[in-house]
Amino acid sequence: MSSGIETFYDVMRRHGISRRSFMAFCGLTTAAMGLGPTFVPRIARAMETKPRIPVIWLHGLECTCCTESFIRSAHPLVKDVVLSMISLDYDDTIMAAAGHQAEEILDEIRETHKGNYILAVEGNPPLRDGGVYCLPGGRPFVDRLKEMASDAQAVIAWGSCASWGCVQAAKPNPTQATPVHEVVTDKPVIKVPGCPPIAEVMTAVVTYILTFERLPELDRHGRPKMFYSQRIHDKCYRRPHFDAGQFVEEWDDEGARKGYCLYKVGCKGPTTYNACSTVRWNEGVSFPIQSGHGCIGCSEKDFWDMGPFYSRLSSVQPFPIEGNADAIGGTVAAVAGGAVVAHAAASAVKHAADKRDIKNERQARADQNTNG
Amino acid sequence: MTPPPPGSEVHAADVTAGDASTSIERTSILVYEGPVRAWHWITALAITTLAVTGYLIANPLPSVTGEASDWYVMGNIRFIHFAAGYVLAIGWLVRIYWAFVGNHHSRQLFKFPFWKKEYWDGVAWEASWYFFYRRWPKKYVGHNPLAQFVMFFVFTLGMFFMIITGFALYAEGTGLDSWQYALFGWVFDIFPNSQAVHTWHHLGMWVFVCYIIIHIYAAVREDIMSRQSMISTMISGERMFKDNRDD
Amino acid sequence: MTTMSTPNGFALDNSGRRVVVDPVTRIEGHLRLEVNVDDDNVIRNAVSTGTMWRGLELILKGRDPRDAWAFTQRICGVCTGTHALTSVRAVEDALGIEIPKNANTIHNIMQLTLYVQDHLVHFYHLHALDWVDVVSALRADPKETSALAQSISSWPMSSPGYFRDVQNRLKRFVESGQLGPFRNAYWGHPAYRLPPEANLMAVAHYLEALDFQKEIVKIHTIFGGKNPHPNWLVGGVPCAINLDGTGAVGAVNMERLNMVSSIIDRSLAFIEQVYIPDLLAIASFYKDWMHGGGLSSTNLLAYGDMPALANNHSNDSLMLPRGAIIGGDLSTVHEVDLKDPEQIQEFVSHSWYTYDDESVGLHPFDGVTDPNFVLGPNTKGDPSTRIEALDEAAKYSYLKAPRWRGHAMEVGPLARFVIGYAMGRPDFKEPVDATLRTLGVPITALFSTLGRTAARGLECQWAAHRLKESFDGLMANLKAGDLSTANTDKWEPSTWSHNSRGAGFTEAPRGALGHWVEIEAGKIKSYQCVVPTTWNGSPRDPAGNIGAFEAALLDTPLHDPEQPLEILRTIHSFDPCLACSTHVMSPDGQEKATVTVR
Repeated sequence: MSSGIETFYDVMRRHGISRRSFMAFCGLTTAAMGLGPTFVPRIARAMETKPRIPVIWLHGLECTCCTESFIRSAHPLVKDVVLSMISLDYDDTIMAAAGHQAEEILDEIRETHKGNYILAVEGNPPLRDGGVYCLPGGRPFVDRLKEMASDAQAVIAWGSCASWGCVQAAKPNPTQATPVHEVVTDKPVIKVPGCPPIAEVMTAVVTYILTFERLPELDRHGRPKMFYSQRIHDKCYRRPHFDAGQFVEEWDDEGARKGYCLYKVGCKGPTTYNACSTVRWNEGVSFPIQSGHGCIGCSEKDFWDMGPFYSRLSSVQPFPIEGNADAIGGTVAAVAGGAVVAHAAASAVKHAADKRDIKNERQARADQNTNG
Repeated sequence: MTPPPPGSEVHAADVTAGDASTSIERTSILVYEGPVRAWHWITALAITTLAVTGYLIANPLPSVTGEASDWYVMGNIRFIHFAAGYVLAIGWLVRIYWAFVGNHHSRQLFKFPFWKKEYWDGVAWEASWYFFYRRWPKKYVGHNPLAQFVMFFVFTLGMFFMIITGFALYAEGTGLDSWQYALFGWVFDIFPNSQAVHTWHHLGMWVFVCYIIIHIYAAVREDIMSRQSMISTMISGERMFKDNRDD
Repeated sequence: MTTMSTPNGFALDNSGRRVVVDPVTRIEGHLRLEVNVDDDNVIRNAVSTGTMWRGLELILKGRDPRDAWAFTQRICGVCTGTHALTSVRAVEDALGIEIPKNANTIHNIMQLTLYVQDHLVHFYHLHALDWVDVVSALRADPKETSALAQSISSWPMSSPGYFRDVQNRLKRFVESGQLGPFRNAYWGHPAYRLPPEANLMAVAHYLEALDFQKEIVKIHTIFGGKNPHPNWLVGGVPCAINLDGTGAVGAVNMERLNMVSSIIDRSLAFIEQVYIPDLLAIASFYKDWMHGGGLSSTNLLAYGDMPALANNHSNDSLMLPRGAIIGGDLSTVHEVDLKDPEQIQEFVSHSWYTYDDESVGLHPFDGVTDPNFVLGPNTKGDPSTRIEALDEAAKYSYLKAPRWRGHAMEVGPLARFVIGYAMGRPDFKEPVDATLRTLGVPITALFSTLGRTAARGLECQWAAHRLKESFDGLMANLKAGDLSTANTDKWEPSTWSHNSRGAGFTEAPRGALGHWVEIEAGKIKSYQCVVPTTWNGSPRDPAGNIGAFEAALLDTPLHDPEQPLEILRTIHSFDPCLACSTHVMSPDGQEKATVTVR
């Protein structure tokens, strides 16, 4: 994939710029960086060789936890990713440039690397009222997103915001926050959900693309199968306690101290596709279940509306907090049972009355026959 | 020749004139063929098992103590649930097959005469009987119209819903490469996530619990109060009518 | 308006050239700054605009209060955990829940860990490039760099060979022509004053800090399962402690505690041998650049944090003090009460929200948020193309304007240190005095961009020491046999009263953070957050008081308005976090949004 990238020199030649002008350009660039003339041939050589693939990392409505997670990557170290693997030309959170100098980078990359850059999106665009709830650079984020996506090679949707909508899209979604794939429909969108995704999962997705020069195999929802094809529950080290029937019944009880299964205190591991129980977090130190708290399902679509987080059963809107399937079903069943009993009693009374009537009628007929 | 007086066919040693005068002529028709009856009782057992184990999967029993390796409580409950699920699903497939090869009553579960006025008149008649407005219901060989309504919308559609969502959830365990996922993975395109499928599958269980309460009550009541047999019919297959009056 | 003076003592003049910085990068979230400069390129008017709004508080309505920490934690992934802790405290306050001693200590350890990591990342990765010229490092002599490094610190990674390797790597990177995150910046700007050797040392430490910061947060991972966004619990902490019983490997045990201890030691070493020496070295080149004071010399606010005693939230217990300083009078530290309706109020006259009466402020318990995106008549451009310039006489930000007893306040490390200093607490006074002595500057030097940056560094060091003490306290309590981590007496909603209200507070790394919750019938009835950047980045209020960002930018000379490095420098010193600018909830809970573009 990246083999298809033109070098900077190729691009300039295609635009009709001569070798001579190209060398002049290198000279200017060198001077602009404050470097001596000895750097000119090196800059020129670099521009003629295969470049690192540019990555544009945009932020919409988000909390920056994805960027924070990304910089936690231990293998590869994020400094190696940024210095040697990709060219992270735009990421508001860490880039040195600001204001219009930052904005210019977007236009430059679109022009010089048309179809050859990766667009990474953290957060999502709000669509309500023309998108005015997110206005970086004085324009609705959705416009910038579509613009940058139109010339990208592929789009990576970092985290649950970009993949599914996440917290700002939880009911009632006041800003109409919308996941990236619903706005960008003409480009492959790789979803890497999680709030945030695991650092090493993020860098693995990037390095997979660079190493194998293809996009990773995706599941039906657009997630890389290599990390999102199994539930946390499927590979949870507390699974034997689940199968045995050993649960944490309440916080800090004996079961909690023995590391029993957190299913009864609401763990969403059985319904959550992510790599937490295997890759684990922060260089494999732990993951939520290992540290005693159930999974809240943060890589799942609409997980915010599947709460409460401390109950196995989700509450069903618009019923009250305790209005889960059992409460609703149990109530309806009790009502049905009560209605049946009442109906049976009424039927018995009616049946007895009818029987008496019938008997009387028959008697009357019989009397009539006898008399007649 | 004058017709025999009512009750004169009752050949019993102790029959009296009084008995004879209250005797009714009974007739019967074969409604439920053997496979349908067998399916009914197997399904009844499977649903009961599924509801109990399903409830316990969502609300596990109190924790057991000791080593995890000594126990398999949750595992067994889940195994029973899955096994009963297979029984239910295969039974349902056989039942669908029988709808094609069995008698016309075997097809009633799968048909709903939405556009027939007589059908809706029948629903109204039965409903008014259930609301005590009428002394007598009509007689039906198959399901009465009200029953057909419940059977189709609650039972038949409910069965499809539970089997499909159940196998979709099962496919999560068997994995993305399994035939279960290939057949039922599309369920996760409809619901936002697996937890939501669990919630609706669980609500479906409660629908069946309510259905069973009403189904058993209606069967007992019809057996006593309607003009045809019910419970014994699902054993013998024969629908007995308690009178021979025309409707 | 061309010229006017504000009630809080600043002169504004918007007649000069308008300079816009949007996006402001190296912050959390989306911020826009507009300034007017006079003929000498001195800033005479400043406009701070939060350009995003998410509406989290509306989303919280009707949810289980025990879940609220997870929602509010997603307000910000940079100061991850602090919103969660604030939320947990608000709900515990409302429900009258007392937490066990160990839970309090672990909360403090989590919060202090955040301080250490967040301040470090802020200094090196968000702020340093305002002082350090990366490209200049290519011209450094590695030997001299080594000598410089060894003269200020005993940090072992300081050999000439080490710096040469770093420089070579940087060279290869620059020679590739692909500058990545360093592209299009203000390299070579005359406001950069460090010699190449200091720049190379700072670049080396930029990379080292990038590697090291991920180690610090492993403390969050041990107690909370992951970072960013670890897990919390109303009534305690979710991680059970089991030192020697059956299944101890599935809980916090000796191995886990040793890892925490080791990370604390390494963090302390990194801060004292790298961060603090770098900070002092860089500051020594800039100590005559005394701009950016703004409100810091007058109005400062802190809610306090890190109770040394569990469930005691008074100043006797709080390791970070609570209080307010008004008018620069350091002799009086005013009492701060989050629940007093007269103290904290939010105004929206210049915010993209509506009140029935916009001349008054509302206490968060009575907070209303009704979004109303309206641009003033003097706006240039519009969102459909690009907003070229906002009209600050009208509504111009998604941040509300919070005021304490009507005053615009600055919050953050500098506020906390000055308040601690004014209270005479030695753990604040001594390091401040020592730093001032080292740099040879008077105490007034504190009230500046550099003072803010220095206070953050000192606070990072302070936090690392408190972290070690807190850990020792935890171990002592475990040794005494107390393993309890959660109080579940009031876990079940059936034990709650029908209606209750509570306020939770923390000091986020960037300043005072408060959450206000009302719980009714087991559900959240209303939820409001007032966050540090709302204080610092606030727009004007009806009286015309300007907020801390705007005040700090005034009177700063720009060397080149096309490359407004000085603006970034001052704004970054506040460590802005804009995703926090979320407010919503009308009293009837109806979501209302009206948008007018005139």
